[in-house]
Amino acid sequence: MNTLAAYTTVCLLITLDARLIPDNYSKERRALLDEETFTAVGGKLHLNEDETIVNDILMKWKMKELNPSYTNPQHFNFSKHYFSYKNDIENSKVYQIIRRMPKGAVLHVHSSLMLHPDVLVKLTYEKHLYACFADDDLRFYFSEATPDRPCLSKWALVSDLRKSSGDPVAFDSQLKNYFTLYKEDGEDYNFVDINTVWQRFNKVYYTIKSLIAYRPAREKYWTETLKQFYKDNVMYIEVRTGLQDLYELDGSRHDKKYLVEVYKNVTAKFIKKHPDFIGVKLIVTKHRALSIEHVLEALNLTRRLKAEMPDMIAGFDLVGQEDIGRPLTDFLPILSEAKDEINFYLHAGETAWLGTSADENLVDAILLGSKRIGHGYALTKHPSLMSAVMKKDIALEVNVISNVVLSLVHDVRNHPLASYIALGLPVVLSSDDPGAWSAEPVSHDFFVAFMGVASKHADLRLLKQLALNSITYSALEDESKTRLFEVFNKRWDTFVRDVISDECLLDTSVS
Amino acid sequence: MWHIIFILLFTYAKCDDNYNERRRELVERELRSALGGNTTLSDKENVVNNCLMRHKFDELDYAFDHPNEFNFSHHFFSYKNRIPTSKVYKIIKSMPKGALLHIHDMAIMGADYLLNITYQEHLYVCFDKPVRFLFSSNVPNVTCGVQWQLMSEARAAVDNVTEFDAQLRKLFTLVCDDPDKAYPSIKETWTRFMQYFNSAHGLLTYRPNWEQYFYDALTFFKNDNVGYVEVRSILPNLYELDGTEYDTLITAKAYRKIIRRFMKDHPDFIGAKFIYAPSRKVNRDVLAQYLVSARRIKKEMPELFAGFDLVGQEDAGNPLIEFVPQLLEAEDLNFFFHAGETNWFGTLTDENLVDAILLGSKRIGHGYALAKHPVLMQEVMAKDIGVEVNVLSNAVLSLVRDVRNHPLNIFLSLNLPVVLSSDDPGAWGADPLSDDFYVAFVGVASKLSDLKLLKTLALNSIKYSAIEPENKAEALQKFTRQWNDFVDNFDCSSY
Ligand SMILES: [Zn+2]
Ligand SMILES: [Zn+2]
Repeated sequence: MNTLAAYTTVCLLITLDARLIPDNYSKERRALLDEETFTAVGGKLHLNEDETIVNDILMKWKMKELNPSYTNPQHFNFSKHYFSYKNDIENSKVYQIIRRMPKGAVLHVHSSLMLHPDVLVKLTYEKHLYACFADDDLRFYFSEATPDRPCLSKWALVSDLRKSSGDPVAFDSQLKNYFTLYKEDGEDYNFVDINTVWQRFNKVYYTIKSLIAYRPAREKYWTETLKQFYKDNVMYIEVRTGLQDLYELDGSRHDKKYLVEVYKNVTAKFIKKHPDFIGVKLIVTKHRALSIEHVLEALNLTRRLKAEMPDMIAGFDLVGQEDIGRPLTDFLPILSEAKDEINFYLHAGETAWLGTSADENLVDAILLGSKRIGHGYALTKHPSLMSAVMKKDIALEVNVISNVVLSLVHDVRNHPLASYIALGLPVVLSSDDPGAWSAEPVSHDFFVAFMGVASKHADLRLLKQLALNSITYSALEDESKTRLFEVFNKRWDTFVRDVISDECLLDTSVS
Repeated sequence: MWHIIFILLFTYAKCDDNYNERRRELVERELRSALGGNTTLSDKENVVNNCLMRHKFDELDYAFDHPNEFNFSHHFFSYKNRIPTSKVYKIIKSMPKGALLHIHDMAIMGADYLLNITYQEHLYVCFDKPVRFLFSSNVPNVTCGVQWQLMSEARAAVDNVTEFDAQLRKLFTLVCDDPDKAYPSIKETWTRFMQYFNSAHGLLTYRPNWEQYFYDALTFFKNDNVGYVEVRSILPNLYELDGTEYDTLITAKAYRKIIRRFMKDHPDFIGAKFIYAPSRKVNRDVLAQYLVSARRIKKEMPELFAGFDLVGQEDAGNPLIEFVPQLLEAEDLNFFFHAGETNWFGTLTDENLVDAILLGSKRIGHGYALAKHPVLMQEVMAKDIGVEVNVLSNAVLSLVRDVRNHPLNIFLSLNLPVVLSSDDPGAWGADPLSDDFYVAFVGVASKLSDLKLLKTLALNSIKYSAIEPENKAEALQKFTRQWNDFVDNFDCSSY
């Protein structure tokens, strides 16, 4: 009996002992994990009482939505192509919270590809719009009479085509396919290579560009775009634009400055209606495949416009597929000459090719004093460049969905943003060309980054820090920046109150 | 006028010089601080390097212009048959690669080898799901959803043996024609991968086969110019025709017997050890038994027992934290933990990295998730923990698709103590090490990485091996002799 008792005690001790992690081990472990949290983006942010409640709600839903995928990874959307799950996003409670959350500024978007294709289709109902369908391609032109312009088939009034199609709904949905890479019938984009995707992407771009080169169409386009971004809780935008020449119905053309004025006036009108919208600035762009003379011309234009409308022009950038465009070194002389007068916001490292000239664009973007870097996708592979970025406080404009659609990464858990966040790099989230893949202005990008890329533990602090970063790293003058912070904080408080009082988010069945 | 232009040009050129200098400085600093960046090559090595890099650039420049044909952004199965035609591959194949430090014994030899075994006498098969095999003098007394039949009879009963064998062969490999369809997510991949082990198990753990198999595996390594290996083994119970089953110690002894025999036959081979690596999907009591076995084996053959690890899909198994109290008491065993073989950031699996480090793991298996943990990367560096990277395994087992997104390139650029290995090459029909080296070199590493990287990786594999300090010098000597042989006899035109 005694021996048995002793034996039981020993057994108990062993099992107890087996569960006991020594104090110093736990401490050391905690210290490492805490240091990681503290280092990460948002790690130093303090949440007040109400924010903590919102955070609890947010994280409850995040866990509820993520946990099932952990045991059944075949259902984990973010390891698949964006197109395969984009229509389900709306059902997510986490998304619904993110959508309502003020997101501050959007700092990396291209002017022609910001608007959802549904709205673009509505623009095709404008009078005098001609279309030329040829070779799987579509061009528009507004004109009183049949356009006197080359067309491989023939120009026809869109209204006529729509009528004669017999099925306007079907006609419109076909039209929509020209405005986006996303197709309802689920074309397989899974493993399409980067050059092919870019070809399709450029096609969409040229079609839309032809639609909004008409001055009245552009004004409507811009009004609608502002509406969508505002509705997505964005309060300020920096737009990359090549400043195309607008034309009137009679064929007369405006100069580039005219488009800047259109942006300015339409935005001013919008602000009158929505006084807590701060405004827009433009980053003038040129295609990186063009000659040095062309780029020089664009630099001079930027300089001139900046002198004339300083509050509208943020700076300069080079755009287009980085791999096949010219490397920044080609433009070094003219860029370094201009760098004291013009702020650069250069695309760099939007590539998967390590050790190539596209990859080395990161070096030049940094050395040329770029205020922010567009994408910087390749940066994780360059530790010394990363420390330069950190030291010079150069913000990275990360566009996760763009990188997926444009074929850089498949499973977003492999997106370098995870490392940037962990390292606490100055990151802002943006959406690049949300219209081209039928995404919401920026909420989808926030959602995918938050659920798919960031740590499972990443919470409201990350989201808030990302929003704050977008203001900090914007090109706004101090005074406007202060105002944007004010507007943001006010909206943030409202958001916090709304989430707390929203009964739909207080599902008690969830623990 | 001339004056002004001259001055402009002059100032411009001046600031340009400065720029170029700073640029070069930055680019060079990166190359120097990367893995292998500080190595210098001899004249003869430079000859090899020039040849290697010419072919590497040819391959990459073509792929850059034709990204749709860039193999490494596709599934390994879609290009694996074309690898042998690559000149870079051929050079790598003939290059001494040092040690193979992360490989599981049940998945080394490949489908044809296993198919061949099914022609042996006394083999029974159970066409259940998964299909299982067992050598036995009588009908096995083991449950089977259908019924056990003699393999020879099953084969004799079919009309088309070629077709039958082709179907059978599929059991022994994950390779298939349409991998994107067959493996849409990690779930399907691991399910299939586990079936592989179930089918291979009975074929290999038959005692006579086990011994032959491991001897053949060592030959296979040697032919791939691998000089030393540390095999992870669950040390399965071996069995005889009459149903006798042995315990783990006997399996370990079988290893010893074969390694001795192989070393006698091939004295230039550096050697082999094993890491006892049973399943992580167990409770604490079973782990306690594992640790007892490990101690027993270590005592019996300290020269072959390298250490201890836990295996199986990390996401689906128990996290290390569950076992920390027990493992802390067993640190004398030397740990080589799998950790961070996951895409799930911020989960318990992910945190295995923390415990692997705190438990004093000598090396970490995979460490795939490390790039998301800068603090842990520092620890790995400070404690000089070797990271065993298996690129093809991570690609096949659904962690990454385009290998250019594999974190290895981050590890390399940070000069983390990396070794390359192959995990389960037999399950996907890869070489013991050459395929992994090739894909890492051309697909993952920088375009500019050269022989310095390859040589350093090979040297690292010796450095971070479990070879006793007193034997390392000799191991290094053997490697150096092979390396010099390779360099001295190198003929670019023969590739
Ligand atoms: Zn962009
Ligand atoms: Zn492994």
